[in-house]
Amino acid sequence: MRRIAALYSGLSYQYRSWNEPKYRKYIADIVYIPDMEDDSLAGFDVVLLPSRLHTGLLAKVKPMLDQFAANGGTVVVFWPNDAERIVPNQNWEDRPTNFWWWLDKNAKSGIEQRNPEHNLYKYITLQDATWHYHGVFWPEGDVVPLVVTEDGGALVYVDKTSTAGTWVVTSLDPEFHYGSYFMPATERFLDGLFPWLAEGEL
Amino acid sequence: MEKHRIAVLDVKVGVMGEVGGSSGYTYIDMYDLPNIPLEPYACLVIHGSSDQEFLLKHKDVVANFLNQGKVVLFGGQLFRPWLPGGSSFVPRTIRSHLDYHIAVAKAHPIFADVDPIELTYKKGVAGFFARGHHPVPAGAEVLLTLPDGEPTLYIDRSSTKGTLMVSSGYNLLGYRDGNTTRSIGERVEAWIAQEYNLLQQGVHIQ
Repeated sequence: MRRIAALYSGLSYQYRSWNEPKYRKYIADIVYIPDMEDDSLAGFDVVLLPSRLHTGLLAKVKPMLDQFAANGGTVVVFWPNDAERIVPNQNWEDRPTNFWWWLDKNAKSGIEQRNPEHNLYKYITLQDATWHYHGVFWPEGDVVPLVVTEDGGALVYVDKTSTAGTWVVTSLDPEFHYGSYFMPATERFLDGLFPWLAEGEL
Repeated sequence: MEKHRIAVLDVKVGVMGEVGGSSGYTYIDMYDLPNIPLEPYACLVIHGSSDQEFLLKHKDVVANFLNQGKVVLFGGQLFRPWLPGGSSFVPRTIRSHLDYHIAVAKAHPIFADVDPIELTYKKGVAGFFARGHHPVPAGAEVLLTLPDGEPTLYIDRSSTKGTLMVSSGYNLLGYRDGNTTRSIGERVEAWIAQEYNLLQQGVHIQ
């Protein structure tokens, strides 16, 4: 099983998500960002960056993530509030968030699957990744898109070419919603994501 | 009271629902809390997206602020014991949207003419307001509850020499929309000023 570091900045929803036993069993360590030092990610295979981080903490952790990826590690990014700076080789586009798409007649999320044979889809379904989103990525490298909007913006993709490591990038924020006791799809997403990160083909 | 005497601990993420309401408040990077003189401020607003490990490490700063006869607003889900009188968040088991129904437990000027249904539902969807509660300290005044009486908003004048307003959802200072709810933010602001003035005059409110 890969050793996963879940980064943590003392927020209630991170606390609940990372300490939920069914996810905690996949997490080798919960790493509190304000206490991190340059070598804090040594010995891990995967590092998980939660959404909604204080910009000062993002600035602190960014060079560590780059080094980790340069060493061949896997960086998993949930909706980063400073996406342009954090995720390599892509352009981020903020999108107005439609929390209500599912209330409309003939509800259509506008979210589509790509590469259905990808190993992640042995762990989650497209529906498990379908809730509102805050923006899209336009990757510039040779990436594997997994969930996209109708116009091709990426909501979930894997990038193995921009660095020596692997970036699993999503504009979704499952740990916020699950950890805030809100929205069941986010729990199904995490139910699949953790075993995939620990044991799947990334 | 001037707006800038309300200090909002800035979590530097721009989380929706946690904007501090109208402009004019003072924003302090939450990690600067132990280093900033707090004398100029009457009220400290602490968001649910704050680092509670850090707040626990510096809980004396919050307690000392309150003990100067000042006001603290918190809205969020507590899981560390840094807030005077605070208890850990208890989620409600949700079986239907009815489990999210908010009731006004005690008449209070902040909620005068407010329709609780409008607090509960946004565009027909429930659950934005509160999804659980914090057990209250002795002597707390409970303003809003969930269906089994779980307090989602309380005022605590007993745990310190100041006053706490604690919500298990968002703090209410940013509440500026809706038909019957649009005045809540302004009323909270007025309540802070009134509360602070009474505290500074040494009046004990029952």
